[in-house]
Amino acid sequence: MNQFTFKRGLRTTLLIMIAIGLVSMVMTFMGDDPMHTRFWSNILHNSVFFTGIGLLAFFMWSVHITAWSAWNVVFKRLWEAYALFLIPGLILMLIIAAGIWGGWHNLYHWADAESVANDKILQGKSSFLNKSWYTYGTIIVMGLWIFVLLKLRGLSKKEDTAGDMSFKIHHKSRIWAAASLPLIGFGSAVVIWQWVMSVDAHWYSTLFAWYNAASMLVAMLAVTIMMSYYLKSRGYLGLVNTEHLHDLGKYLFAFSIFWAYLWFSQYMLIWYANIGEETIYFKHRLDNYPVLFYGNVIINFALPFLILIRNDSKRKLGIMVFISIVVFLGHWLDFFLMLKPGILHTMHELAAMSGAHIAGHGGFTAGFSLPGFLEFGTMIGFLGFFLYFSFSMLTRAGLVPKNDPYLPESVHHHVE
Amino acid sequence: MSVANKNIVYGLYDAPEQLLSAVKEANADHLDIWDVFSPFPVHGLDPLLGLSESRLHIGGFIFGLTGTLTAFLGITWIFTRDWPQIFGGKPYFSIPAWIPIIFELTVLFSAIGMVLTFFIVNGQGPGVNNPILDTRITDDKFCLAFDATDEDGGKYRAFLEKTGASVVNEKSI
Repeated sequence: MNQFTFKRGLRTTLLIMIAIGLVSMVMTFMGDDPMHTRFWSNILHNSVFFTGIGLLAFFMWSVHITAWSAWNVVFKRLWEAYALFLIPGLILMLIIAAGIWGGWHNLYHWADAESVANDKILQGKSSFLNKSWYTYGTIIVMGLWIFVLLKLRGLSKKEDTAGDMSFKIHHKSRIWAAASLPLIGFGSAVVIWQWVMSVDAHWYSTLFAWYNAASMLVAMLAVTIMMSYYLKSRGYLGLVNTEHLHDLGKYLFAFSIFWAYLWFSQYMLIWYANIGEETIYFKHRLDNYPVLFYGNVIINFALPFLILIRNDSKRKLGIMVFISIVVFLGHWLDFFLMLKPGILHTMHELAAMSGAHIAGHGGFTAGFSLPGFLEFGTMIGFLGFFLYFSFSMLTRAGLVPKNDPYLPESVHHHVE
Repeated sequence: MSVANKNIVYGLYDAPEQLLSAVKEANADHLDIWDVFSPFPVHGLDPLLGLSESRLHIGGFIFGLTGTLTAFLGITWIFTRDWPQIFGGKPYFSIPAWIPIIFELTVLFSAIGMVLTFFIVNGQGPGVNNPILDTRITDDKFCLAFDATDEDGGKYRAFLEKTGASVVNEKSI
């Protein structure tokens, strides 16, 4: 079956997931501190995570076009569908940006005018960390991505209807794909600094953007594996076979190690240099978040490394789906650990400044120290939205790009 | 290694597809293939020849683990028992600083271990005589060889000619 039909049962399931998310968000909003920090931090966490999955799908798609790669062509429509999530992703990020302008939340320490006035470090960074640049930077960078993405998507769809397997359209898409690489490479660093790293406004790490992108990439590969499993079980994607699964497994294995390499590089250099303003980031997480901190490395490095190291485990669908679920949740937790401690700290700082008392200072804070049911509920809602959007995009084009010049090579892909 | 002389009948094919179809036919005719040579790996050849997956990587994992433990226990002994020193105010037992060394020794042990295992298992090494059937099997020809030491090579020659070998030859090695 080449054309995906978005069946009613699936729609209902996804809408129930979205409803769970909405209920969780409302419940978080009701039982929150006056600034609704838990509610807003959950939105930021999931918006960044799922937008990142879309971004890295776009990146991998462009990389494979630029590298003359063929093996991924049978499932490239999945990556196109994820990549289009950049459009709702832009809206989600603009809601966060609007919150900075409207003073709806206290996610970012640098957004508080009074704090900046009394803080030399924040003043020094204020030419980059300010609400205008946060908003316009997000719009400019994501706007450029979406512009190139829509060009590429248009060419990809045109290839289906244009009627022959010549390289005529493919060569045009090579130009756009190559152009997107520096835009994603430099642009992702800029937005990741703003969205994620600036919650710890006093702290910085030069590795941070790569480390984030690696985390998003592994999550994206996990979603791809789970999605192809689902579509295959419903009779779609008949051309995707064990050989493609094997190569996706190699990616999952390799980029899990890549993620661990970057995670450790960042950790070890900061630990070794022992400069107070850098070390505080890890000191805080080691002292107050030990379960997540060590669990992060075990789930995202040790498990995929030991499970996927064997050749045959990458060819078994059951093992691959299991490890995909594990690392998907693992990288979601990785983002939790990047964002929540910094946001909680900002909340305490601002509360101390205004003299207000916030319960749980220094101890266990629900929704911050560990993800609770409401955090998982919000994640399920966002996941439902992401999947609903992706499935709708899959209906807009055939699942098999039937005129892609690399399709025959992809069909006959052979690994072993 | 000295091996008793063998009489080998072999044919050279021009293309990997010809080799693949010849191997398939030899299997169908129940001919006992001695060996196959090709200048590059031919996809789909291993299952036709009934070759099982190499176990070299299991050895690689064990060698790697040996390297990990050697480095970890070695550095632990040196820096906590034998000659404790303070570097940059860090404790004697500082795993983060050791991980690069542990990683390096893991790679070193698994690489050297696998190369040595490969040579020993295949009886290779300096001074070993490796008779080669035809120099072009390392260049552009695909070779299918039968052992005809104890029997008449005629049926093999006939088979090779039938399946389109451009050169059919007999050699004692």
